[in-house]
Amino acid sequence: MKTISVDHLCRVEGNGGISATIDGKAVTGVKFSIYEGPRLIERLTIGRTPEEDVSISPRICAICTLSHKNAVIRAMENALSIQVPPKVTLLRELMHMGEFIESHSLHVYYLALPDYVGFPNAIAMASKFDLEVKIALEMKNYGNHIMKTISGRYIHGENPVIGGFGKFPSKEELLWIKNRAIQFMPFVFKTVDLFCEIEYPEIPEAATLYACCEPGNNAYGFWGDEIFLSTGEKIYKDDYKKLTNEFIVSHSYAKRSRYKGEPFSVGALARVNNLGERLKGEAGKKYEKYFNSRWKSNPLFINAAQALEILYCFERIPPLVDELLEYQEDPAIVQYTSKQGKGTGLVEAPRGLLIHHHEVTDGLVSFADIITPTAINAEDIERYCYIAAQKLLDKGQEDKIRDRMDLIVRAYDPCISCSAHMARVEKAPEEDWKNKLRQIKTSSSPLFVGIGNPNLSDDGAGIALARRLRKQGREDIILEEEIEEKGIPREKRNNRSLIFLDALDFQETPGKVNLIPLSFVLQNATLSHKFLPFLKSPMSNEQLKNSFILGIQPESIDQGRKISLSVRLTLEKILEVIQQ
Amino acid sequence: MTKDKIKIGIYELTGCAGDALLILDCEKELVDIFKAADIQSFSMAKSDNIDGELDLALVEGSVSTEKEEEEIADIRKRAKIVVAIGICASFGGIQARFLDQKEWENNFKKVYGDLEMTHTKPVHSKPIDAYIKVDYYLPGCPIGKDQFLNFLTRMLKGNPPEKYPRPVCVTCKFNQNDCLLNRNIPCLGPLTADGCGSVCINHNLPCVGCWGPVEGANYTSEFYLLLEKGFDLEAIKKRMANYAGTRITGFFDQLNKEKP
Repeated sequence: MKTISVDHLCRVEGNGGISATIDGKAVTGVKFSIYEGPRLIERLTIGRTPEEDVSISPRICAICTLSHKNAVIRAMENALSIQVPPKVTLLRELMHMGEFIESHSLHVYYLALPDYVGFPNAIAMASKFDLEVKIALEMKNYGNHIMKTISGRYIHGENPVIGGFGKFPSKEELLWIKNRAIQFMPFVFKTVDLFCEIEYPEIPEAATLYACCEPGNNAYGFWGDEIFLSTGEKIYKDDYKKLTNEFIVSHSYAKRSRYKGEPFSVGALARVNNLGERLKGEAGKKYEKYFNSRWKSNPLFINAAQALEILYCFERIPPLVDELLEYQEDPAIVQYTSKQGKGTGLVEAPRGLLIHHHEVTDGLVSFADIITPTAINAEDIERYCYIAAQKLLDKGQEDKIRDRMDLIVRAYDPCISCSAHMARVEKAPEEDWKNKLRQIKTSSSPLFVGIGNPNLSDDGAGIALARRLRKQGREDIILEEEIEEKGIPREKRNNRSLIFLDALDFQETPGKVNLIPLSFVLQNATLSHKFLPFLKSPMSNEQLKNSFILGIQPESIDQGRKISLSVRLTLEKILEVIQQ
Repeated sequence: MTKDKIKIGIYELTGCAGDALLILDCEKELVDIFKAADIQSFSMAKSDNIDGELDLALVEGSVSTEKEEEEIADIRKRAKIVVAIGICASFGGIQARFLDQKEWENNFKKVYGDLEMTHTKPVHSKPIDAYIKVDYYLPGCPIGKDQFLNFLTRMLKGNPPEKYPRPVCVTCKFNQNDCLLNRNIPCLGPLTADGCGSVCINHNLPCVGCWGPVEGANYTSEFYLLLEKGFDLEAIKKRMANYAGTRITGFFDQLNKEKP
């Protein structure tokens, strides 16, 4: 059995990894893990005023901060029945465009393009794409500039508030934004051609469901009061739970979503697939030219869709500014009296549908529910990686699996924050644990350390085994409970290698045994935590090389149950080998 | 001469990554500064990161998992100078608002239920100085560009960073803003460390306190001023606590003692 993993996804926002487990000819599992710690943002807003909520909840993410801002404001204005004047809505739209331009141009040029032109990163790519890299950076800065001008800061600007804006940008500032948009047009066309003409690999191709906001008026756009599904169904904003039944998986702090049991995708590709026919002007022409049925079933086309959306934004900005300038007066912040209400705000963040639901009771926030696009996409990311891994395996191209998974995850532009590229293919050690154990025993007289939780059925196997060994008179035995405080006593360690006895889930039939080098487990973030307390005093290299985990595949780790039969039989076998 | 360049590592614990992102957003200035320093680790910007000895470690985010507890201890071991950047690393940030362990546990359960996490255990969010000695603080949500560049330039020259022992009000006066407290708007400017350029008040909006408390902030005075203006006692406390993290506990303890 093998695990192919990308532990630290590079060129994505945040700390995450993906791994596929392969058993012979079958991919048995794919895990997309997010290692960021929990912050409980939804709970933080409770008891706060609506204004404080609008300040706090966008702090979930520095990258989509303004999408969160627009979403929470829409939710609050719905909850408190506030109508804002048209100038406010127009300025919010312009602000949103800034974030799209910033996020999309960074993603397509700096994060995604290097993969398709064969460079490890954007800096190296500059040797061949010097001009593109430079202008793309200017384009990103232009997006940043719009965000700063309207929201007050590059990140976490406080100027957009419930009922309007603290201050409106001046006519000069708005005209600058308009003129700059026009100047960029030739490069924007080039961008669309570049990304729509890339030959995206065929694997993975599989149908999925797409969801995005319905902007209304048969227009393209980035918010609305309904969710539009590629099946043609529409879900009203307050019924968003019909779409997103969230659940939690243990390898990630991000919650997950499914629709009627099936994963679905959100983001640029979802929007173009669902609403592309509504694109007008130059964006409409490019859509006619490039769109085809492959876009409907291959997530790698997300990059093409993003390029098309960059064009949509640049085309929309000049008329948007003109409309804004028609309103001479800057409207004051709309005041409200309501102290009660529930509201949902639907917005498209650059990476997809973002849902904010906030409830206000007696003037204070009493409930908040925030569903982010990366949490929604996590299920489909895993599914597409699974499909790709299996197809490549069938074709005998196992060596391509790691890179392809990397490519799929990156196409989705997940928002999690990181970059160390440490992708590697790990071979799980061979089956013949008996011989290997005998060998270690004769060459280095190891210490056996029993670990686990005896209250959790098979998780107690390691402890039970260690106790049995000690009963039979062995002195080279240590129990977890004896060393939790001090680490392993020096006189006992004395540079000896360690063998940990433990239940270990490596997705095999219950009772199977696996002897895994400790160094392998320490590199695997999903397993290592448990062993760290034992390694308080540093180990020598020699010691680490000769240390192993004797893992037993558990049948159950339910509370209060005894050790299962299959595992008990295995314990006898191990006992025999050690006592020989 | 590469040997003499100071070695810098930039790390992200739990947070929104806004401080690292802001550093990335200073592209133009960074090119020069990064030439003058040896950036050993900056996972948001580059992939060939090395975890070795450092002259200067900049840490963003609060400690929120057991893995991060180990990470922060390791960073301290390797770095001569450790700087907390951003409000989360400095004071725990918004996620440190659940002041006691019980409250945090209850809230954690309400979000995630009883599920045991397989990768790393969550812990109550705390600023990094709850675990290690911190040499300097650069607060802000996110940090300010000018303050950061000023700080980094001084460090590169081997000088200690400039202190900002003044509240937002000082800059606010230079910017000739009307005092919002006079208009009965609950502005936290007098309590909050300077560095943002009084951006919210420049936009006619009250300071939310995202730079955290300024050293020697006169909580008592602001507290009673807001009470006098008719604001609700609990509402004032909550507003003050939003961004102040662990720094506000002392004041609340004192306040509880004063109240009969």
